[in-house]
Amino acid sequence: MGEETTKEEEEEFEPKIVGFTCNWCTYAAADLAGTSRKKYPPNSRIIRLMCSARLDPMFVLKALLNGADGVFFSGCHPGECHYIKGNFYARRRIAAIRTILKQLGLDNRFKSYWISASEGEKFANTMKGLAEEIKELGPSPLRGKVL
Amino acid sequence: MKGVERKSGDLEGLFKGLLDKKAVDCLILPHRVGNNVAHMMVTDKEKIESPVPAIFAPSFSVNAANVVKGWTIGEKIGIVAKPCEIRAAIELIKLKQMDKESALLISVDCSGAFTNQDYADHAEEIGDWVDSAKVEELKGKGIAIREACEICDKRLADVGDIGIVRRDGDNVTVVGITDMGVEALSAIEDISLEDKDIDRSEETEKIVAEAKKKKEALPEISSVEALEEFLRDCIVCKNCRDMCPVCYCKECFFDQPLGNPVGGDLLNIAELRGAIAVPANQLMYHLTRVYHVSTTCVGCGACEDACPKDIPLTRLYPVIAEKVQEIFEYVPGKDVEEPLPFTVYEEEELEDKLR
Repeated sequence: MGEETTKEEEEEFEPKIVGFTCNWCTYAAADLAGTSRKKYPPNSRIIRLMCSARLDPMFVLKALLNGADGVFFSGCHPGECHYIKGNFYARRRIAAIRTILKQLGLDNRFKSYWISASEGEKFANTMKGLAEEIKELGPSPLRGKVL
Repeated sequence: MKGVERKSGDLEGLFKGLLDKKAVDCLILPHRVGNNVAHMMVTDKEKIESPVPAIFAPSFSVNAANVVKGWTIGEKIGIVAKPCEIRAAIELIKLKQMDKESALLISVDCSGAFTNQDYADHAEEIGDWVDSAKVEELKGKGIAIREACEICDKRLADVGDIGIVRRDGDNVTVVGITDMGVEALSAIEDISLEDKDIDRSEETEKIVAEAKKKKEALPEISSVEALEEFLRDCIVCKNCRDMCPVCYCKECFFDQPLGNPVGGDLLNIAELRGAIAVPANQLMYHLTRVYHVSTTCVGCGACEDACPKDIPLTRLYPVIAEKVQEIFEYVPGKDVEEPLPFTVYEEEELEDKLR
């Protein structure tokens, strides 16, 4: 990371966003967005989990500490979990980790959504909105740091 | 509430009786070591020192609950300790590290503790017991209680099975809080329990108000840069984890190759990022620990005491943990029957905390 990168970033900052989605809802929604040819910015790198409840908040911490500008999580709507109650547990953990991140001023870089398998358009729009939001925030304060 | 009156120097019989009548198989008791106070596990009643005012001594060594982490045997252990230690033990019961039936928890009134070092250096001046007036007086002389104790608002012996309540002068009331506690007390020969009406709401209010003031005055870690600066000197020795009563994983992530990379693994990460701080994963370690203890941290300050680099960890762990506990309206160690926040849910909740 030298001056060059900084210059490039000034020209056009393209945020790197790490996303965690559940296999049954949001991942299918992303698929649907693709097959329905909805366009959305390519900033997000999606990691598929079998269920919301697989999201260990350590994943979020690790992504942020490794310089991700944004992290998002998305799963089935509460009450519609493929495994009945996985996202209820996930919701508590997400609320906890967001409370911790809020203390450090990082909560605006971790978003979570509920997007069902039929909501391909909502997925595309959410990704658009998220990329814009993170772009506005600028690079993560942890980016390029010796950590 | 059922209880019995005693003098503070006259509690020996109580503990001897518990062992004698097999109410417990062993007792964790504070005892004197030179100028200082440490814990001992005693099975032979003759080994109980007389008198036993050491239980009130405002000195904090190890959190007694730490000693019984993983007490998976059937024998019953009695723990005589400060409320924070008892609350940690209750959390360990909920975390299935200890069986509820194999612990008799006896909490003792606390008005804040000094570090072992401060206590040993000023043992004569501090004595066996301090009340809030004495704490202020000593503070004027530059001998202050631990920061964790200053911001603690749960110092009264109202948790566990039995409470040892300090009254005016050297009067003490021993009360049975749970049925198990009452049963244990009534088994002791020379104790006849009477109904006690103990109203400590005024005292509680005062403590809560004072603690709140101290908490607000604490320097806040409000950004990730501030956290970096705060942890600048951390050498990732993980003492804070080992001494934390509620950090209980048998195999810590940060003792494994992924959490504690060495050799080629370390080099690979360095190559990937150009440069990394060593020892690796310092921020990750602390943030993970903050999350892991976020619902169960009782704010005992053992982490801060354990830090060889004198990082005031009380400003990190209990302070952030309290914010998480607030959203779940959970008070760790308050009630052994109350489920841990991460093990239950409500169908409609927390949506405003997610985005």
